[in-house]
Amino acid sequence: MTTTGRENVLTVSDVSKTFDTPEGPLHAVEGMSFTVQRGEFVSVIGPSGCGKSTLFSMIGGLEAATSGEVVIGNDRVSAPHPAISMVFQEESTFPWRTVSDNVAFPLEVAGVPKAERLQQADHFTRLVGLKGFEKRYPGELSGGMKQRVSIARALASEPKLLLMDEPFAALDEQTRLLLGDKVLQIQRDLEQTILLITHNITEAVQLSDRIVVMSYRPGRMKREIVIDLPRPRTSEIVSSDAFGRYVAMIWNDLREEATRGMQDAEGDA
Amino acid sequence: MTASRAFWPFVLRWGSVIGVLIIVEILVRYNILNQYVLPRPSEILGSLGRLVTEENVLGYFAITMLEVGVAAIGLIAIGIPFGIFLAYRHDFRHAWRDWIAGLAAAPVVLMYPLFLVVFGRGPMTITMIALVTGLPPVILNAMQGVNGTREVLLNVGRSFNLSSQQQFWKIVLPSALPQIFLGLRLGLIYTMITVVAVEYLITLGGLGQLVGELAERYDLAATYAAVCFVVGVSILFFVFLEWVERWLRLSA
Amino acid sequence: MAQTIGLTKAQPPRTGRVAVIRVATVVILLVVWEMIARSGLLYEDVVPTLFAIAGGIVQTLADPAFWQHLQYTAMELTISLCLGGGLGILAGIVIGTNPLIGRAFEPLLYYLGPTPKIIFFPLLIMWFGIGQASKAAMGTISAFFPVALSVAAGLREIDPVLIKVGRSFRASPLQMTLKIYFPAMREPLVNGLRLAFGVSVIGVLLAETKFARHGLGFMVTQFYQQFDMPALYGLVVIIFGFAIAVNWLIGRFSRAV
Repeated sequence: MTTTGRENVLTVSDVSKTFDTPEGPLHAVEGMSFTVQRGEFVSVIGPSGCGKSTLFSMIGGLEAATSGEVVIGNDRVSAPHPAISMVFQEESTFPWRTVSDNVAFPLEVAGVPKAERLQQADHFTRLVGLKGFEKRYPGELSGGMKQRVSIARALASEPKLLLMDEPFAALDEQTRLLLGDKVLQIQRDLEQTILLITHNITEAVQLSDRIVVMSYRPGRMKREIVIDLPRPRTSEIVSSDAFGRYVAMIWNDLREEATRGMQDAEGDA
Repeated sequence: MTASRAFWPFVLRWGSVIGVLIIVEILVRYNILNQYVLPRPSEILGSLGRLVTEENVLGYFAITMLEVGVAAIGLIAIGIPFGIFLAYRHDFRHAWRDWIAGLAAAPVVLMYPLFLVVFGRGPMTITMIALVTGLPPVILNAMQGVNGTREVLLNVGRSFNLSSQQQFWKIVLPSALPQIFLGLRLGLIYTMITVVAVEYLITLGGLGQLVGELAERYDLAATYAAVCFVVGVSILFFVFLEWVERWLRLSA
Repeated sequence: MAQTIGLTKAQPPRTGRVAVIRVATVVILLVVWEMIARSGLLYEDVVPTLFAIAGGIVQTLADPAFWQHLQYTAMELTISLCLGGGLGILAGIVIGTNPLIGRAFEPLLYYLGPTPKIIFFPLLIMWFGIGQASKAAMGTISAFFPVALSVAAGLREIDPVLIKVGRSFRASPLQMTLKIYFPAMREPLVNGLRLAFGVSVIGVLLAETKFARHGLGFMVTQFYQQFDMPALYGLVVIIFGFAIAVNWLIGRFSRAV
């Protein structure tokens, strides 16, 4: 399925992950297959415990798949790949580095000379709306601002794919909506390809071109939905009818899965 | 899974220790290491028995523990109330806290001539020096424990119209207890270290004196054995303190 | 009620009152000391008058032997902190970053840490003689444990997500060490060094008190044997002052950076 009609940037083929536990093998993810085209914003949504974060780690190369493969461009992913940048759910800025040095980190690792990388870093710092904060430390920033630093850092190496794992989960609703707008703006400006892992339905519908719905563990693809809402979008779209219908459709799917998840938890308790 | 998580570290740890002891044993046996500097571990082990029967190590042990015990009473009777006082009187706290912290960094033991004259050439001197050394952590932690009482708990007390006295005994003190015990544990560690150190330096009885004596007699194996004994006692003491702190924390 | 309201909220120091308390404390202590010194309650020589002690301080500072002994002690201390600190950092890094080695050996360090290190001194004398080497060895052993334990704890407690960030940007092991582990370790290291300094000073001085021919600890024993109490107290005051000052300095340094 495709929405932009362009080439594939990311191909996930029949990816599975099984963990060995004392209680027996745990199938976290089973046979996930989907693609992401250049310039698309794709969200993977699923209930808690469905294996989304495991999928995130596998695509990012931090964990190996038990079977199946992840392909970025023309390369198989077996370790973190230069064309993929990750934004983590937890707050992940380096507390001992300024905003500027945080954003410049990937360039520093890649060996870009100092003047050039600071200039590049400041460009992305401005892009996420943190102009003027370059010399501040994360300790002086709010949660939303720190996540923006993490996003700027991920963008600094100009990756083919921006991979994000529930980046707004720890933020309050208003900040989340505003940051969502910011991400959409960045995507427009850079024509950035983005894969977002989330559990938040309104967030997914607001931001995405296409949504992949995951089932509860073992995480399989339940459905793919094209979000045919006009672009450019802003947070105002949440009040439209079409928006409501998409949300209801996805919630229908998720309710089943989330209920299975809760029953599982109650069974354990 | 917890069993296997603990298994390999355990094996690695004790395997290394035993491995080193075996290597040392071989090196000394074949005279690669000088046996007049480092006796064979097996010989050292054998001397442990001699320590008990011939050298009265248990008697010395009793003296050391007595000194630590009396100092402990002092820490509890003086250190904790003083710390609580400082928590309530913030002017005194601001005035004295840095001084108390500074005292912890000073080599108090060097004042031993003064202590000797005031308290005589006996265990009391050692107890008093150890007491002074152990007081700062007790005082500072008792103070912090009380100051760290969660405001919301005090508000609960106020909502029930508790008097100041009741607030203290029913809310403040129980809330501060974990940190008070932490301070007491730290203080007792410093105290014990100081007791053994002063015993060694001024030879007024106790395990420290025993080690010094055995060394002067050139009874190498016994000296090493005594050192191991002291290390063992100190580890057991430390484990005991941790156990007491955990037990008190669980039942409080 | 008013008592408890002030109990947990941080109160800014009323500097006037605080100064009064401090001055009063010092004055009272000095007066009590002077009274005991003059009263003959204890042997007058063992509690000399403040004037005599002041004289002792001056006399000691003017004595070239003091500066010589100071050099010996300073040398032993420096070796102790460098060697003990260096080994401590290495051990701390290995234990803090490798889970298996950490779980195997950190308990050993943790339980050996609070033992009276002076008890090893007779053994150190057998190995190194009664020269400076045994004192430096004493200080090294004392300094090693606090540094190793703080560094290990600091590294172990790094937020795991920061390690993931490093890996996600494909940092090499050297880059991980320099750009992530070292900065994360800085604050615990300074705390460890502060503790190490304190126990090192005590270890070196006590060793010099027992068996030495040089050093400030030896000088203390010398004065005691000669029963030159004013000089003894003068020397002790100087040593106390130095130890407290360095401790305070390290504290300021760690907060400022």
